[in-house]
Amino acid sequence: MKKLRGSVKYIVTILICIVFLFPIAWALVCSVKPETDITSYPPKWIPDIATLSNYTQVLERYPYLSWMKNSLITAVTGTVLILILSSLAAYALARYRFRGRKIIYGTIVAMLLIPIQAYMIPLYLLCSKIGLLNTYAGIILPSVANVTSIFILTSFFKGLPGELEEAARIDGCGEFRIFAQIMLPLSKPALSTVTILTFIANWNSFLWPMICIRQDELKTLPVGIAQFMGSVNSNAQFQYGTSLAGCCMAVIPTLIVFLILQKHFVEGIASSGIKG
Amino acid sequence: MKRKQGRIAALFLLPYMIIFIIFRLGPSIAGLFIGFMDWNLAGIPEFAGLDNFKRLFTDEYFMIALWNTFKFFLLTLPPLIILSLLLAILLNQKMRFKSVGRVVSIIPYVLIPAVVGIMWSWMYDNNFGILNYYLKKLGSQGVPWLTDENIAIISISIVVIWTYLGYNMVLFLAGLQGIPRDLYEAAEMDGATRIQIFFRITCPMLKPVASMVITLTLVNTVQLFDQIYTMTAGGPGTSTLTMVQYLYTTAFQNYDLGYGSAIEVAILVILILLIGIQNKILKNNDGD
Repeated sequence: MKKLRGSVKYIVTILICIVFLFPIAWALVCSVKPETDITSYPPKWIPDIATLSNYTQVLERYPYLSWMKNSLITAVTGTVLILILSSLAAYALARYRFRGRKIIYGTIVAMLLIPIQAYMIPLYLLCSKIGLLNTYAGIILPSVANVTSIFILTSFFKGLPGELEEAARIDGCGEFRIFAQIMLPLSKPALSTVTILTFIANWNSFLWPMICIRQDELKTLPVGIAQFMGSVNSNAQFQYGTSLAGCCMAVIPTLIVFLILQKHFVEGIASSGIKG
Repeated sequence: MKRKQGRIAALFLLPYMIIFIIFRLGPSIAGLFIGFMDWNLAGIPEFAGLDNFKRLFTDEYFMIALWNTFKFFLLTLPPLIILSLLLAILLNQKMRFKSVGRVVSIIPYVLIPAVVGIMWSWMYDNNFGILNYYLKKLGSQGVPWLTDENIAIISISIVVIWTYLGYNMVLFLAGLQGIPRDLYEAAEMDGATRIQIFFRITCPMLKPVASMVITLTLVNTVQLFDQIYTMTAGGPGTSTLTMVQYLYTTAFQNYDLGYGSAIEVAILVILILLIGIQNKILKNNDGD
């Protein structure tokens, strides 16, 4: 009886894994089929002929590599800037006593509730006024005004012991050195969490980059790929093979980052969730 | 000392605050004012008083979008609570490969939502989709997943559930692991059955997590856009039109920025109201 229950657990777990991986696996399989085989009946899990022609087609017909480059530049720069600016600000909010601290922190955290959809028109007008439309900065800067990172880092810095700081201060160590050489190295777990959460958010970001960028070569991957769909662009001569190949290539970087840092990702969800 | 601390803190805060005020706080406040303007991108903005907000109440499309958003919420919330709790309980057991199960179930959440929409459209395809192939093999007619006005909203809800299930599972898992062991031991000593333990200890202790999941689902539903944009773009007809999709069309395809801002304000008000109501209900229940 106990053994039976044990194997039921395994079978259910395997079934669940299949459900979660199914759409990705099917997209991968179809992306290496020639266009004529993709729509053949019955659908086959093991293709008769495996080819990379869909992948070369995507690269030839669309500025796909530019999109990839744009996505990498904006997501990486955004993440690095968030790490630097948020850790500085969160450190001040967590470790110093000064007037207005509570109001500033409260205002920042209140913005957690306000999604970009609720202020993207003024943001658009602002960016068009100061010439940020169709630029990398136009995508990156709004993403740097990140609130989750402040929230995670402030609560982490608050939990660090004060003795090290005091000892360093007595030794005559400057405030910035205390931050950079003592506190930051202690914060690796929180910084990893912020890195993965913000990188994935930046990489996946869709609505704002679509509004901000109109030139095809400057688009990021999600925006570029969305054009493949008939629902979006009725002129597109829609081909499943090429669009699935485009999808698979776009998803690989996130999967790699996620698998490397997945432990921190899970911790990040759990900690920010419970405290939130 | 306090004065010196203040100066240093200001230096540390300054770079972030500049970006935060210019690109987030400022626009959020400005949005409230643009809602009172008659502002077409081509023309000169004029003060319009409450016109834009009055228009909201008589706008058929806005009401449809509001209703659809509400339907998405009702369709996705129960599975997102029940299934992710069950998944968390399963993956909290002592067994091999449970960490594999945990990692795999979060993968949908990290994929680009617009791309997820394309992958699922391919599976949902009426003629060549693999789902209809299996259904036909089982003797069914096949389902018009994304082309039927009544079914499309369910098909998209399935994608949303698939996306967020693993994320919510992690929240529940953290909640489960936070329940003190001795509570269970005491209950077992008193001879409580497993079902009793589940309903009398586990469920009440997980209430904060459940409330968190409700808030997140609310926020996510109100923001729902990327997947729908690549799957149906609001169609067929207006059957999957959401508030953000309508906002996007109004502001960035028809360039009616004043009215678009009124929709933005409405989205914000609805979000805050709903979260407020939810907190109130949950608090009242605590009082019992």
